[in-house]
Amino acid sequence: MDAVQISHVTKTFGSVTAVNDLSLAVPQGSIYGFIGPNGSGKTTTMRMIVNIFYPDCGEIRLFGDGRPQNSADLIGYLPEERGLYQKMSVQALLEFYGELRSGRSVSAEVLSWLERLELAGRASAKVETLSKGMSQKVQFIATVIPEPRLLILDEPFSGLDPVSADAIRSAILDLRRRGVTVILSTHDMHLAESMCDYILMIFRGRKVLDGTLSSIQDQYGEDTIRVTTAGGLAALERLPGVEQVRDLGQVQELRLTRGADPQDVLRALVAGARVTSFSLVKPSLHDIFVRIAGAAAVEESHANA
Amino acid sequence: MRTHKVLTIARRDYVATVRTKAFLFGLVVAPILFGGGSIGMSMLKGGPDLKDRHVAIIDHTSLVAGALVSAAKEKNDQELFDKKTHQQIAPRYVFEVIAPAAGSSGQLLALSNRVRSRQLAAFLEIGKDVLQPPKDSGDADEAASEKTDPDTRVSYYTNAGGIDEMRTWLNGPIRDGVRLARLVRLGIDIQRNPGLSASVPIDGLSLLERDEKNGQVHEARKRNELEGFFVPFAVAMILAMIVMVGSAPMLQSVTQDKSLRIVETLLGAVTPLELMTGKVLGSVGVSVTSSLLYVIGGTVAVNALGIAGLLPLTIIPWFYAFLLTDLVMLCAFAAALGACCSTPQDAQNLAIVLLMPCLIPMFMLVTVLRQPNGMLATVLSLAPPFTPILMLLRQAMPSGVPAWQPWAGLAGVLVFAAGTVWAASRIFRVAILIQGKPPRLAEMVHWALRG
Repeated sequence: MDAVQISHVTKTFGSVTAVNDLSLAVPQGSIYGFIGPNGSGKTTTMRMIVNIFYPDCGEIRLFGDGRPQNSADLIGYLPEERGLYQKMSVQALLEFYGELRSGRSVSAEVLSWLERLELAGRASAKVETLSKGMSQKVQFIATVIPEPRLLILDEPFSGLDPVSADAIRSAILDLRRRGVTVILSTHDMHLAESMCDYILMIFRGRKVLDGTLSSIQDQYGEDTIRVTTAGGLAALERLPGVEQVRDLGQVQELRLTRGADPQDVLRALVAGARVTSFSLVKPSLHDIFVRIAGAAAVEESHANA
Repeated sequence: MRTHKVLTIARRDYVATVRTKAFLFGLVVAPILFGGGSIGMSMLKGGPDLKDRHVAIIDHTSLVAGALVSAAKEKNDQELFDKKTHQQIAPRYVFEVIAPAAGSSGQLLALSNRVRSRQLAAFLEIGKDVLQPPKDSGDADEAASEKTDPDTRVSYYTNAGGIDEMRTWLNGPIRDGVRLARLVRLGIDIQRNPGLSASVPIDGLSLLERDEKNGQVHEARKRNELEGFFVPFAVAMILAMIVMVGSAPMLQSVTQDKSLRIVETLLGAVTPLELMTGKVLGSVGVSVTSSLLYVIGGTVAVNALGIAGLLPLTIIPWFYAFLLTDLVMLCAFAAALGACCSTPQDAQNLAIVLLMPCLIPMFMLVTVLRQPNGMLATVLSLAPPFTPILMLLRQAMPSGVPAWQPWAGLAGVLVFAAGTVWAASRIFRVAILIQGKPPRLAEMVHWALRG
């Protein structure tokens, strides 16, 4: 049974179509990553799953037959734009959110999560006294109490320092191991590659990629060469069969034109410079994202990562 | 709608508000401000300005001034001292009779300057024909010309501002003086009939009532001016104050939740209608808490002051019925307006719109107090946005209202409040996630009607 089943959903705001005929199945217990440039429809899709927005047409079902309006208590939602009641104490705030969703006291769970994310010492502190990283951890705890079956996290790592990001990443993976389904959106392609079982890319409201990372990469084949040469970037100019060169610093990435033979490229390289490493790889998610959305979207994506 | 979610939101908002210093401060300060005004008024009333009032009289009849001074002295003697304590409680009126001069305007200007320099409080000019009784000719033009002819009138000159008590006080002696002078002119010896100008006191009494339990008829009691004015005014003002103090923070609260990005987190757990209902309930709870304290405090105070009989206890259930419906109506309205704002500045600009249903009836209080059962008062008090304040005001007056009117008013308010909550929830649902420029009125109406 899929945790989320989206069938031909469309959502418009005035003359803008935010989501266009989107269909998607999120298997239970998986981590599904939503990627796409800003304004592509990721947040709108998430809001429709949480029942904040209603689809204009199409249908969303949760855990089989459940409609979003009847399944709110199964979902933990961390919005991209998030805030907390500043004057409340951390513990009172978390108990409020937990009770709001479950209808029961969640004091024990609150203490356990505070302990786990190293915030136990700040339980009685007012939210306004917390650092940004601490606040984001508190927001995450508010989302996961009391153990929802479906977690929807809109940009959960944006603005987090590496230590806090690691703590939350670890908590998400642990929840997945306990059977929780996770949908998260991110601009960090490396994170999506390393963390997500499935990846959905939305572009201008339409689904353009959907599947596991390897299945997505298979669509593009092994058309990428990673190379290091003694001559650096200059040695890679005017190579036959190469349509794009991407400088990653210590390594350069070459994208082959359709039908080009990697052996011809290697021969041309060796003829002009000393090659220290050469490997034929599938395109990275970042590369695929660029091919679909264009360079401008990538720059925007980097700025938000 | 899931009750536990609504109540959880309501409880958080309630606790968050009643724990704030602003709430506790307001709880203490509002009655002090409100009561302080009344106490200040009564203190001023208890300690009037007892300085002598010097009044000059130019008498063109040569007869009226003497009689006027005599009538004034008689009135002054009766009122000047408290009969029990023998302390002076009213100002003494001192008259200066001045013969009319040939150049009338020069004399009037000189006296005006004396008033300006505070040597005089006022001066009177008695027209030469005031002793002629008005003609009853039936000719409208002639009667009108007589009314505007200064010779047939007494002119009162002063620069007193505000409510001129001196003019009110002088009314009686002037009329008595003119009438006595007319009697003298007719040859009646007023020295031998000193009671001719004596004023007759009028007692204000309430209506008689039959006790429904034992059938006895209760005697009429002396009416206090507080009963007719202050008590209804105070009851209506307390209602308006609680509703305004209770609903205005809702506007800020919703805007703050929106601008701090708290709303979307909440909407992940509750529907917009549940969120709005919870916030409205929390706000109503805060207002009921403060109103209970005010009502209990007020009841204790009027008992301690011995004026408990003036407070119609039957009004209290109506007070709460109108308070609750008015609060629900305005808090829902405030939630919808707050959802349309993105910044506290936007909310501040819309606060006046929110308070209109309270401010308009407050502007109409005096009109309704003057004619509580007039057409305007009746129609306004049956208009749902204004019903709570104006109907309660009319109910608290001794004249009361026909029995059907409060029920009709309450029914109208309930229907209107339900409509307001319905429309507000639709606006709230759409507007709460929209950032940026506040929507136009037409957009809000569209959301309310079409969702």
